[in-house]
Parts: sequence; structure tokens; C-alpha cells
Amino acid sequence: MACFPSWSNGLQRLGMAAIAIALAPSAAIAHGAHIQARTTTAVEVQAAYDTGEPMAEASVQVFAPDDPQTPVFTGTTDASGRYVFAPTQPGDWEVSVRQAGHGDIAVIPVEADSVIASSFTNDAGLSPLQRVIVAGAVTWGCIGTALFFWRRGKQ
Amino acid sequence: MHIPDGILPAPVCVAGYAIAGGVTWVALKQIHKTSDPQAELPKAALLAAAFFVGSSLSVPIPPVSVHLVLNGVLGAVLGWYAWPAILIGLLLQAILLGHGGLTTLGVDAVMMGLPALLAGQFFRQRHRFAKALAPKPLLGIFSFLAGAIGVGLSALIFFTLIVFTIPSTLNQGAEQSFLTALMIAHVPLILLEGVFTVLLCFFLMRVKPELLEQ
Repeated sequence: MACFPSWSNGLQRLGMAAIAIALAPSAAIAHGAHIQARTTTAVEVQAAYDTGEPMAEASVQVFAPDDPQTPVFTGTTDASGRYVFAPTQPGDWEVSVRQAGHGDIAVIPVEADSVIASSFTNDAGLSPLQRVIVAGAVTWGCIGTALFFWRRGKQ
Repeated sequence: MHIPDGILPAPVCVAGYAIAGGVTWVALKQIHKTSDPQAELPKAALLAAAFFVGSSLSVPIPPVSVHLVLNGVLGAVLGWYAWPAILIGLLLQAILLGHGGLTTLGVDAVMMGLPALLAGQFFRQRHRFAKALAPKPLLGIFSFLAGAIGVGLSALIFFTLIVFTIPSTLNQGAEQSFLTALMIAHVPLILLEGVFTVLLCFFLMRVKPELLEQ
């Protein structure tokens, strides 16, 4: 009688082990894996600071047209500021690239077959010459304002 | 250091506009109190131009590059006029250069304008120490600190805002390490702007000391 409980315990364990094997996910039993390859159309974005320096290793979030709240793809740009994603449906895809509080959001219109709409043009930002002209114009405006009030003060 | 559109959550942008509105009201009221509110306008216009151009002058501090802010200078030389000058400068930067954004204009104004006003108030305290120090060292110390306080406080507000609003979907560790690198890069900028403020104040003291009377 003294050994009965331990025998019954052993039987219980055996039973539990059998149940555990039966319930284990099939992937754990099947050790084979397969990779399938196919060609797809992807969108490549490239982010740079306005100094021209690429935004390397910046955080990228890609939002699908139907959900602007939760990103579908997240990742980081490579050393030249590039990131590639494959849109799964047509519509306006939003891509946000940010690093240390700086960044930008681009809306990319994607048509059927993951092709970017032909109407889409990249915002190239200002060229150095345009920057100089803008800065010059604003400075000149400020000097004009200063001279105007300076003369008025003198009269 | 301008925060662009889409980085901050909407409530923060709204709060920025609310605070900026309140400060604008106070600043304009203070300006209105002066005997001739238009007397300081030429100076304010010229320094607004300097502020506008300053954000386009990037200073490479590897691995990042920072740009001049000059809000401490504006605060020291302009006092309350620094606020409208910065507000107009930021608006033009957002529209014309794409620095910052229209939704974050309020936040950016608070981030750069409030430290400018504080730096200005600090700079005015130098008259209290007029007996203890000779005029030139006194001006040197206070102008350096005013320039440093301006950009230093702005950097602090910037990092606080960004750290507390990093979306949970982003890689927090990576974002924080980049933020730290950018924060460290601002230390030389703080010194640089302090020195710049000293040079400008010494120059003004030599050529037109009445501009520094406040």
C-alpha cells in the first residue's frame, strides 16, 4: 500500500506528458521551414536634413491609407537615409521619418499594383540659392522696417 | 531646434498656442507701457532679421549639426520686444524656409521666446551689481550668461518636450540615444552664443551705448 501513491503519481505524470505532446503547437514538432520568393513592387523613401545630410538610422513609421493611427511597418533608415516598404493596397500612404525631435511626414499616393501615382512630385525643399534669396529678402524687409521707424522717430 | 509639424501630439500644440497667446498679450502690454513704443522698433526689426538668418547658419558639431538660435541676444538687447521679434521670425521661418511648422508655431514660440524674456530680465539685473564690478567685466559676465541662458533653456524645453512625447510605437532607446547626442552638441552652442552676446554687447557699448541702457 505504501508504494501505491508513488505508482499512481508516475502514471499521472505519464498521462500529462502525453497530453502536453498532443497539445504542443505543430510547428514545434515539424522542424522544416520554407522560404518562398516572389517579385513585388516597393516604394523607396529617402530622408535628408535640409543641410543635405542624410537622416541615417532614423525611425520610420508607415501608415496604411485606412488607419492613420497605428503604423503598419516600422523600421529605421539605412546610412543614406533610405527605407523600402511594399504597400499592400492603393491609397494615400503616410510615411513619417523622425530622429531626435526632427523629421517630416510624406503622403505618398499609391495606385493599383503598388505604383506611385504619376501626379506625385517630391518636395525638393529649397536650393542653397533660393535660401540665400529668401534670407536676403527678409533681411531687406527688416532693414526697411527699421529705417522707416528710425526716420519716423527722428521727425 | 525648431519642432516641425507631426512630431508633437495635438494637445501639446494647442497648449503651446494658448501659452504663446497669453505671453503675447503680456509682452504687448509691457511694450505699450513704455513712453514711446515705436522707439525700439528699428532695433527689434534688425535683430528679428538676425534671428531669422541665424537658424539657417548651421554649426557642425559631429556627429550632428546645430544652428544658431540667438534668442538670448534678442532678450538681452530688446527686453520685451524680443517676444514679437521672435514670433515674427518664427512665422517667417516656418512659411519661407520650412523650419518648424504652423501647427507647432505656438510651442516653438514658447520654447524660444520665454527663455529670451528670462535672459532679458536676467541681463537687466546687472545694474544691481554696478557698484561691485567695473562696467566692462559686469557687462561681459551678464551678457555671456544671458546669451547662454537663452539657448540653454530653449534646449532644455526642447528635450523635455520630445522625451515626454516619443510615441510608444517608436524604438525608445534609439530615439533617446540620438536625443542625448543632440543635447551634448548643444553645450558648445551655448558657449558660442554666450561669446557672441558678449561681442555684440561690447560692440554696442563702444558705438552706441544708449542701445544697452535698459
